[in-house]
Amino acid sequence: MNELALLQNYLLVGGLLFAIGLAGFLVRRNMIVMFLSAEIMLQGISVSLVAWGRYHNDWGGQMLVVFIIAVAACEAAIALALVLMLAKQTGRLDIVLWQDLREEGQPAYVDREVPEEREEDQVWPTLTPAGIEPEVDPEEELHRSRV
Amino acid sequence: MDDPIRLLLILIPALPLAAAVLIGLLGPRVLRQQSHWLAIAAVLASFLCSLLLMRELSFLQRAAGAGGEVALGIGYEEVRRLWTWTDVADAYQQPRTPPGESRESLVGGGSRDFRIDIVLRADSLTCMMLVMVTLIATLVAIYSAGYMHGDPGYWRFFAYFGLFVFSMTMLVSVSNFVLLYVFWEAVGLCSYLLIGFWYQKPAAAAAGKKAFLVNRVGDFGFALGVFLIWTTYGTLNFHDSLRGGELEPARIQQAVAAERAGEVVPAEQEPVAGVFGPLRLADNELRPAGQPRTSAMISLAICLLLLLGACGKSAQFPLHVWLPDAMEGPTPVSALIHAATMVTAGIYMIARCTPLFLVSPDAQLVVSVVGGFTALLAALIALTQYDLKRVLAYSTVSQLGYMFLALGVGSLAGVTAGMFHLFTHAFFKALLFLGAGSVMHAMGNVIDMRRFGGLRRVMPVTYITFAVGCLALAGVFPLAGFWSKDAVLGAVHDKVHELEPHDSDSHGPAPHGPAPHGPAPHDSSPHGSAEGGGTQAVERPESSADDDVTPVFGLSNLLRGQIFHWLYLLGLMTSFLTAFYTFRAFYLTFHGPELIPPEAGRHAHESPASMTVPLGILAVCSALVGLLLDRSYLDGTNSFANWLLWTPSLGFPAAMRTTLPGEFHLSVAGWSTLMALGGIGLSSYLYLGSRHEIHGIRQFFDLAWVSGWSDVESFARMRQWRVARWVRECSAAVGLEWLLRLVVGALLLVVLVLSAPLLLLYYVSPYKLSYHRFYLDELYELVLVRPLRGLARLCYGIDRWLIDGTVNFVGRVPRQIGDVMRSLQMGLVPFYALAMVLGLLILLAVQLLG
Repeated sequence: MNELALLQNYLLVGGLLFAIGLAGFLVRRNMIVMFLSAEIMLQGISVSLVAWGRYHNDWGGQMLVVFIIAVAACEAAIALALVLMLAKQTGRLDIVLWQDLREEGQPAYVDREVPEEREEDQVWPTLTPAGIEPEVDPEEELHRSRV
Repeated sequence: MDDPIRLLLILIPALPLAAAVLIGLLGPRVLRQQSHWLAIAAVLASFLCSLLLMRELSFLQRAAGAGGEVALGIGYEEVRRLWTWTDVADAYQQPRTPPGESRESLVGGGSRDFRIDIVLRADSLTCMMLVMVTLIATLVAIYSAGYMHGDPGYWRFFAYFGLFVFSMTMLVSVSNFVLLYVFWEAVGLCSYLLIGFWYQKPAAAAAGKKAFLVNRVGDFGFALGVFLIWTTYGTLNFHDSLRGGELEPARIQQAVAAERAGEVVPAEQEPVAGVFGPLRLADNELRPAGQPRTSAMISLAICLLLLLGACGKSAQFPLHVWLPDAMEGPTPVSALIHAATMVTAGIYMIARCTPLFLVSPDAQLVVSVVGGFTALLAALIALTQYDLKRVLAYSTVSQLGYMFLALGVGSLAGVTAGMFHLFTHAFFKALLFLGAGSVMHAMGNVIDMRRFGGLRRVMPVTYITFAVGCLALAGVFPLAGFWSKDAVLGAVHDKVHELEPHDSDSHGPAPHGPAPHGPAPHDSSPHGSAEGGGTQAVERPESSADDDVTPVFGLSNLLRGQIFHWLYLLGLMTSFLTAFYTFRAFYLTFHGPELIPPEAGRHAHESPASMTVPLGILAVCSALVGLLLDRSYLDGTNSFANWLLWTPSLGFPAAMRTTLPGEFHLSVAGWSTLMALGGIGLSSYLYLGSRHEIHGIRQFFDLAWVSGWSDVESFARMRQWRVARWVRECSAAVGLEWLLRLVVGALLLVVLVLSAPLLLLYYVSPYKLSYHRFYLDELYELVLVRPLRGLARLCYGIDRWLIDGTVNFVGRVPRQIGDVMRSLQMGLVPFYALAMVLGLLILLAVQLLG
């Protein structure tokens, strides 16, 4: 395997890690998970740094990654402490609970619960019975309630 | 101090100022209703100091003049420097003139300093004004103690009063145009404060504002005049000095001698010739340098600008409108400021500037015409006013017009007559105003003469003193007004004679007239000779004082003589009107059926002694002052005029060549007495006894009969006449009714067309013109106030909407943008993260695609 192909693969992995982290960061609302996603993005960068270092025959990339890991450890300590404090305040880990920095007059974001379906909404099309009503297996009724 | 004149000159203004400051500080808490003691004491002390100063000065004059003769030629002055206000060396560099001219060397070798010392002067004119101002002020202060008793602003009144006396005494004793201007404004300020003394009253506040604003117009002219004087004469001092500020006459003489000898002297020692200093006056070097025509234009401009200032302060024709309104102030103020002292500041200034006016006969003519016209106009207005104080106010304007008339004659006789009239007028007008105040006091502040009458038994002292004042104002024989008014009219009369083409003169020097005087050879510019060529022979000045003066207006002596003749007749006419309206007011107030307005309550009584005693003193002065001072009818000496001739700016050689005071004109006196008695007689006939004729006369002058002519109802009544009926029946019988209709209709049309101008006349009938003050206030309102107010509104609108609007718009744009952006700040961390990512993507896209 030549050098370029090796680099390509590593960069692919790094990019994938970064994309997964980014997607997780944007999609999830749990503070710890968001933090983990950010860490994953960091690792993606680290991987590509190492790959570039290897490719250029330069130890600088690896040095930098070692630094990143050290700094990330510190950062993790601080971030988890913060998360802990925030979680203690509300008892929950939802980031959306912390939206106090919004502009004055802006409506607060409230989670809209998906409304439960009421009985009367569950109107199903019925056919006029014609002919002989078929025998319905009562066992079948159990797992095919709505047809 | 070993210099009594210096001490007195400082004390005279300083005492009232100290009183004003003390009353201002202590008045509200400590002095309260006792504030008047301080003011009276200070002003009285000031008056005594003025008398002492007069005595000192007369000793010095006698010592200087070798036996009291006035023939010395340059007058006598004592000048004292207190401190230097400002000194800018070489403020103006003048191109160096050839060494032949001595004039330029007098202003300090081509450069001039802007140096203003606080300098006080003592000369005859100043002394006379000081004595008059402080005497009247003392009497008015005593009177005010009674009149203002119980007023909530008692202490405030006396504080302003002291401030006014300080300003006025400084005004007449400073020796510098800038300081004159400063105190000119200071008296204006005091006048404003005192007119608006009862500031809760809207009329009083408006009147104060009006007086202040109208005076600003005049002061603007005065300021320009002062600037022009500085650029023309290189100094603003009245007196001579050295550049270092040295005032000792001997040192100045030494310095002048040294410079004439061509010695090089240090800059400190160079002489600076004051505008009215002996150095300039002795050689009559008041003509500005340059071509004769330019020079005449400049001196005319200076004089007219000064005249504008004087018109504002002394209430002359275009600017007289503030004085009658100033009657809203307390009556003692009207007496002191608006009759006796402050309004004479303009007269004083013009008298002080006599040397400037002497080199510009055109300006003199303007002064006289303004004065004469104002005298007549104000007298006509005074005829129909019902407000006692307004009558007196218009009378003041009219008498000030007399003074201007005299000052414009341009001879020493005229100037001293004007000042003499000022002096006597101060007494009797103060007396009349204080009398009116006494009436007002008793009548519960009612001043409308229709609402009271027959007060001679209620207020006997006021009645008698007021009568003396009226007789003096009317100019009846032995009283003060007679002598001064006669002097004024006599001076005008002399001027007419002087300007008349005498037979011997017109035949004698006319053929070789232009040659010896020779304005033409000097006047090398073709422009000047073309304009002056036609009238050169005629307009050669008769009197030696007018030598080499190039007239600007180009009026011939004949025409000027005619103008002065008309002014003389105008003066006589005015004296008739004066006597009439004075006694009209007198009879309306004190004669006829007794009528007391309900405002007076049940205690309409004579005023307290603090008010009647000053009235008595003023009455005695008004009666005797003329008789004592003017002895021209005996031996041709007028001790007042002789005293005034010691003033440097009056008794200098060029002026001494004009007509001198002291001649008594029996014919003029006869005419003016006749006029006065005629006026008194007419008003006695109309207002004593039954007053039914006066209604008819008023109807006549109101052109009430005109409205009868063009009345529709009178036409309707004509239809009922027997002749009309007969004509109608006849035409009906003949069957020509339509013809009759046509003829009558045509006749009606003609009558209507003819009566339209008559109707217009009806609305500006002589009576209405006089009663509505010739609609001058309305005219000013329409021509000046409205457009100016419109302009102010426009400026306000531009400021408010255009300028402020732009600034506010610029401020509002970021706000609006911010408002739009606000909605993005929703505080959700995922949203921020998404925004970051999107932004990153946009940047990447730009980077990759661009």
